[in-house]
Amino acid sequence: MNPEFRRNLWLEMTPRRIALMTGVLTLAFFAAALSGGDTTAPARVAVFLYYFIVVLWGARNAGLSVVGEIRDRTWDSQRLSALGAAEMSWGKLFGSTIFNWYGGAICLAVILVAHFAHQGPVAALIDLVYFVSIGVIAQSVALLASLIAIRRRQSHTRFEIFLYQLAGILAAIVVLYIWSAADPAASFLTAKKTTETVVWWGRAFDVRPFLLVSLAAFAGWTLLACYREMRLELKMRNRPFVWLGFLAFMGLYVAGFDAWLAQSANPPSSDSVALRLALAATTFAVLSYIMVLLEPKDRVLYRWIGGRVASGRFLQAASALQGWMMSYFAAALAIAALIWRLATHTPPDIAGIAQVGAALGFLTRDCAIFVLFHTLPGRRRSDFGAVVVLVALYALIPAILDGLGLKQALGFFYPVATDPVWLGAAVAWGQGVLVAALALGRLAIGEGPEVKEAVQA
Amino acid sequence: MIEVRDLVYEYPSKRALEGVSLAVPDETITALVGPNGAGKTTLLRCLAALEAPYSGTVTIDGLDTSQAPRQIHAQLGYLPDFFGLYDELTVRRCLAYAARSHGIAPALTAAAVEKAARQVGIADRLETRAGELSRGLRQRLAIAQAIVHAPRVLLLDEPAAGLDPQARRDLSALLLSLRDSGMTLVVSSHILAELEDYCSEMIIIENGRVVGGKPIKVRDDERPHYLIELATARSDLKSFLAGAGVDLVEADDRRALIVFTHNAGARAKLVRDLVHAGFDLASFGLSSKALEETYFAQVSGAKAAP
Repeated sequence: MNPEFRRNLWLEMTPRRIALMTGVLTLAFFAAALSGGDTTAPARVAVFLYYFIVVLWGARNAGLSVVGEIRDRTWDSQRLSALGAAEMSWGKLFGSTIFNWYGGAICLAVILVAHFAHQGPVAALIDLVYFVSIGVIAQSVALLASLIAIRRRQSHTRFEIFLYQLAGILAAIVVLYIWSAADPAASFLTAKKTTETVVWWGRAFDVRPFLLVSLAAFAGWTLLACYREMRLELKMRNRPFVWLGFLAFMGLYVAGFDAWLAQSANPPSSDSVALRLALAATTFAVLSYIMVLLEPKDRVLYRWIGGRVASGRFLQAASALQGWMMSYFAAALAIAALIWRLATHTPPDIAGIAQVGAALGFLTRDCAIFVLFHTLPGRRRSDFGAVVVLVALYALIPAILDGLGLKQALGFFYPVATDPVWLGAAVAWGQGVLVAALALGRLAIGEGPEVKEAVQA
Repeated sequence: MIEVRDLVYEYPSKRALEGVSLAVPDETITALVGPNGAGKTTLLRCLAALEAPYSGTVTIDGLDTSQAPRQIHAQLGYLPDFFGLYDELTVRRCLAYAARSHGIAPALTAAAVEKAARQVGIADRLETRAGELSRGLRQRLAIAQAIVHAPRVLLLDEPAAGLDPQARRDLSALLLSLRDSGMTLVVSSHILAELEDYCSEMIIIENGRVVGGKPIKVRDDERPHYLIELATARSDLKSFLAGAGVDLVEADDRRALIVFTHNAGARAKLVRDLVHAGFDLASFGLSSKALEETYFAQVSGAKAAP
């Protein structure tokens, strides 16, 4: 048995705790059966208890599984073990939450028996996949959030632990929200009509199987992300292929919803290819923002990459690229393809090309702002500072300009139509190049000649 | 066994190690000493492949820490300065977990646990919860966890901190026995007295650099350290000793720390020569503070150098 899982069993599954969980749940179901008025009352209570035990409480335990080791000063010993990253990841994820899964399994048994009796085996099977997936996603997102925070060297205050738990709960809420769109019984959550089909890449799919497969895929990606973060914690190197694979998956997955965008947004001068490219580019841009916010902006790593580029070792440099860098390059590629597509329209969509070009310029600027803030002195809250600047650039200053009637100047802050048409893109790229140059200049400061030699050797 | 070449390590706001190069021979106990904040713990963590160097290389038994960190982790034992234990688990389970997570087969785990517990003297506490142990016993358990898989290299960061005199003596004996069993040990501390009993080599770290550029031999049974003290100061003591074929570590007009052969006849001749030369010899004997004297000689020498 995985030693880490066994250690967690020793700590979590004591006879007293098992008896307590079993007793409390049994009493809760009896109380529901006696006071609920119908035979589904215990199942309804079981659903509530499942969310509480597996999602809310389980996310906290998963978020604590590594952070707790750091807090208790046992993490270095674990990192120095012979356990592989996969063993360590699943030993932590399922070991730290084994008590939650024990309680969740009792709840799930009550839910499945009720659904099997009322709706048949298929409904029970769908529920099984759904409930297990939402639990796994909530817990693995909480673990992932904690592992990312550890790399950012912030990890174990109570508030931070709550944030990791919150990340897991939010992921579960997103799943619940989307799932409810396909569940007539839960449609009150969305205040929308439920739908029977979803159109993806031009084909109609039954919504429940589509969502279940999507759920399983995202749960798989989240587990893989935990494994990759664990590798970094264990000082193993991650090659860029998995993140590139994730980008390809996300680009293809989101681009498939062009029919939905065409109905809801009704964009001018767009064909389905342009729409799909725009969706993929937007996905990559969003991932760039998420990753540049989350990943540590490590000056030492950036200098290392710079040293490799300067000495012509591009493959080595590429192997160390961070997620936000790869996402940025993917966004740039998708935008280049979109520009090419818009240029082939008759007549060419010049305004669209300028706006898309401006969007890439703003993305360049924004990523560079995050890096620049990490190169400034006293950079303890540099991500917060970068976010404040972006809020000012995207919300406060444009609101003031709008209030002053200077609508034409909004093109300096958003990728919107300007007169002349190229002005917005030129200003966006001007800002992007300026901030990027400042960031690169700051990174170069402080690197002595002996280190340059050592890095290039 | 351990080889470090041009190691540079940077924290985001500070360069902690500046081109450190050193080699630690097999089956020795090497002291890593220096003032607080000198870079000792950072160097130990680089040796343990817990931190990746900015540039330079660290190799343990021929394996590069950047290329094969997990293989190195598997064959290392490491006791951090502030360590934690699983307080809710018994000593036996703590050790069993450490053994299994270091790849000891299930069938061999019980024997490895018993052996490690015996080595550190806690075999009678195997069923006690870790949280119920005293400070000294917790330290022993932490060391037992670090050696349960019989690593070839053991790194200890401030291992004697907080121990009482008897526990320190026991620790010295334990470390010497581990060395004799074939282990290579590196012990970091800023308390020189505790290293005196068991270290044979010393690496002085100051401001992220190795003072003197290499490890210094502080214990050599063939050529030990001796302390000479005069009743009357003589300004030519240093030059006399230099001409008498001794290795001078440090000297002033009244006392000298030297490295000299263990041979009784040669020592007797040196004493005779000193007396014949008119030196008012008050004492000549083995130095009980060789490591401390050498440390201050090196550090003051480094500060005096331009």
